[in-house]
Amino acid sequence: MEFERGAARALDSALHQGASYADIRYERVREERVEVRNGEVATLSDERSAGYGIRAFCDGAWGFAASDDAGDAGLDGTAARAVAIARASASIAKHRFAEAPSECYVDRFATPVESDPGNVPVGQRVAYLLDVEKHLHAEPTIRVGRAWIDLWHTEKEFYSTTGSKIEQTIVQSGSGIRALAVSDDDAQDRSFPGDIGFYQAGGWEIVEQARLRENASRIGEEAHRLLSAPQAPAGEMDIILGSSQMSLQIHESCGHAAELDRIMGWEANFSGTSFLDPSLVGKLKYGSELVTILIDNTLPRGLATVGYDDEGAKSVKSDVIRDGMLVGFEMSRDTARTIGRPTNACVRAQNWQYVPMIRMCNLVLLPGDRPFEALFEGVRDGLYMESNRSWSIDDHRLNFQFGCQIGFEIKDGKRGRMVKNPTYAGVTPQFWNSCDAIADAASWVAWGTPNCGKGEPMQTGRTAQCASPARFRNVKVGVGYGG
Amino acid sequence: MEAERREQIAKALVERSKADETEVIIATDDRALTRFTHNAIHQNLASANAEARIRVIVGGRTGVASANAGDERALGEGLERALELAGFAPADPLLPELPRPARYAPPAHAFIEATNQASPERQTQIADAIFAAATDGIWAAGYVATTRNGITISNSQSVMASFDSTDAACNAKLTATDSSGYAERFSHDVDEIDGRAIGTIAGDKARRSAHPRAVDPGDWTVILEPAAFGELLAYLTGHFSAQAYDEGSSFFSHNRGLQFAGENVTVVDDFSHPLHRGMPFDYEGTPTKRVALVERGAATGIVTDTTWAAKLGWDNTGHALPAPNAWGPHPRNVVVEAGSKSVEQLIAQTKRGLLISRFWYIRTVDQRKTIVTGMTRDGTFLIEDGELRGGVRNMRFNQSIIEALAGCEFSDTQARTGGYSYSIVVPAAKIERFCFTSLTDF
Repeated sequence: MEFERGAARALDSALHQGASYADIRYERVREERVEVRNGEVATLSDERSAGYGIRAFCDGAWGFAASDDAGDAGLDGTAARAVAIARASASIAKHRFAEAPSECYVDRFATPVESDPGNVPVGQRVAYLLDVEKHLHAEPTIRVGRAWIDLWHTEKEFYSTTGSKIEQTIVQSGSGIRALAVSDDDAQDRSFPGDIGFYQAGGWEIVEQARLRENASRIGEEAHRLLSAPQAPAGEMDIILGSSQMSLQIHESCGHAAELDRIMGWEANFSGTSFLDPSLVGKLKYGSELVTILIDNTLPRGLATVGYDDEGAKSVKSDVIRDGMLVGFEMSRDTARTIGRPTNACVRAQNWQYVPMIRMCNLVLLPGDRPFEALFEGVRDGLYMESNRSWSIDDHRLNFQFGCQIGFEIKDGKRGRMVKNPTYAGVTPQFWNSCDAIADAASWVAWGTPNCGKGEPMQTGRTAQCASPARFRNVKVGVGYGG
Repeated sequence: MEAERREQIAKALVERSKADETEVIIATDDRALTRFTHNAIHQNLASANAEARIRVIVGGRTGVASANAGDERALGEGLERALELAGFAPADPLLPELPRPARYAPPAHAFIEATNQASPERQTQIADAIFAAATDGIWAAGYVATTRNGITISNSQSVMASFDSTDAACNAKLTATDSSGYAERFSHDVDEIDGRAIGTIAGDKARRSAHPRAVDPGDWTVILEPAAFGELLAYLTGHFSAQAYDEGSSFFSHNRGLQFAGENVTVVDDFSHPLHRGMPFDYEGTPTKRVALVERGAATGIVTDTTWAAKLGWDNTGHALPAPNAWGPHPRNVVVEAGSKSVEQLIAQTKRGLLISRFWYIRTVDQRKTIVTGMTRDGTFLIEDGELRGGVRNMRFNQSIIEALAGCEFSDTQARTGGYSYSIVVPAAKIERFCFTSLTDF
């Protein structure tokens, strides 16, 4: 392990300074991106960064310090800074948020990769995107086409004063396309796959699976057609959400709501709190009996899948909602302890510079029992929506309003004409309790979200929400456009 | 890392490069941040980083790489990777040259030694002062942060631009049984961060908005405090980018000079405003010009960078973001000119309306129409007959920003507000006919 000697020095230094526990997370991060815009390579970059973050526990409080200086003086100074910060926190502590961990793991983890992105020459990546992007310009109204590939590689080492030594290699990949159609008085976006592209843990096979080339012309044509499509209806009606919009729905109205740090008020001034409370476990009927949502941080290809989280806890599978009932939360060691549970290893940091905190990781909505097309049966007058365009939810995670890029009327059980600017709104538990059908595993997708914002300083997290399309009854639609 | 060292590193990399053109950005970030909730600190951190960003151009082909700036070997590898990447890019025959040397006018207020020297104990003291205002069952959550940033931009045209700044920030939300209040302060000088004052304002709002009542959604007259108005306006600033204007996603695309607001509305981008961070050049080393984005209600100003100035044949206003940048130039120092009345006068002249402390989770619903949605949060008050009448439950709005600006009036005092991706200087704004679409239970 590359950083073992440096880690030992830093941990010794933290203990010497007075910490009763310390851990250090060293990361070497590589992020490659290619982006083509209107036939030009707008981004061709290879960004690398290396550094470490030290957590020191002292007098009942945590301190965190990070640095890119891996020399002896840097290690000692950063360890001392972490301890000093912990002491400053403890000096005005009215109560404790934390206890020192006692677990010890010695292990390795690597993301399973079928096709190493390093074997795909940069020239091939560029040529592929230039070809894909060209096909977005299906109509003269397409003013902007974009196509991109992201390839991320993280080498991570974790050491603690309880003896943990964990080495991880995490590979994540993604790609997508976007077309902007413009008329004299309107602009309409279409993107694929989903609204931000297709991101999973894995190698080049994830890029191939996105099938950008096969869908580029369709996406361009849809953006063009949206310019002259009728406005989506307003009122109250049954809706069907495509699986990528379900990913967003789960992310905003379940994933964030069930973060135990948020519930405890740790994000109160910024990301907000939650309508949930530990006393509601086993009592709150979050959704209909069809709704079961798991946290599975071992999920193959899940964008948040790792062997161990960023406080050195082993990845596990646990429940958030079981048969519609609230049963659990996303937790860290400190927050789990407050409700008498073990952590479910949902702690992540954006990279070495950032303090680890609770993230929703991989959320899995279990699929239903019928084909996607069968969801349309039984809808007399409704709306099918796909690919998010706008998302907003209150700071208790209750009142939401989401908009999609494209919609289709549903008339007498059949998909009808295309409509533009579809929106819908609701209140979280009422909405999930109106779910009366979820499509089967054939249309289930493990969507990745590479840009989830939370924390101060703001951290960008990589999460996954896995879902099939689903149907909801009597939902308010058209808000923002007169509804 | 001091400016002299940053310049040495940048100069050496530029000289070493075999590319036709080379640009090196050395950016350092040294920050400390203390977060608290329930009147105690739960996260307390510090981090230090120095990053090098290298852009090379070879025969019209561009490659970008980044690496740790303090690591000699990583820097050399970064330069080689940028050169290698450029070899895979198609040539752009119209790619403009990198900027040439220019004179910069850094403001005097940007770097304050007290902020640079702030200790963990200093931040703890500020937090503790906020806790002192959180009494009678009220609890405080928030943060105190200090940062020191340094940036050097050097290129093969002999540009060498360096800038150092400090910043301090604090906000607090004080929560009572069924209400909450918010206050914030941003400054270059940590000594201007008064924890007791912030706690008192937020606590007072929490107390005065207790037992919030329900009011009907619909069109309301609103008075937006700077934190609320700034967040709303942040969703308009991107419309003044040359790229947005050209591609058709701006509300005034190909209609420069569009009169959309009253003559009292003037918005400029001005790095030298004393409340802004004060960086006098952009991320290509071009001096940042003062640009009037909205002049007396007309959308007149558009910001550019080297690429978009060349594409459109316009002046380079010096608003580039760091390479690689597929999103075009951006106004980063927006200032809304103040009006002539105090917030108290605006309230006193309101028959029925709402005073709003803060918005939350604003997102664009319709780009061209500038319709956004979002929520009120942490202190929303009913105004009747010119007086505050207690708190109201939070509401969701759907509102066109340009239509809001068409009927607005500004207070006489500006404040800096912002989030993690923007900084904006605005007065409070009174807006007629602000559209709320739903009500919450809290």
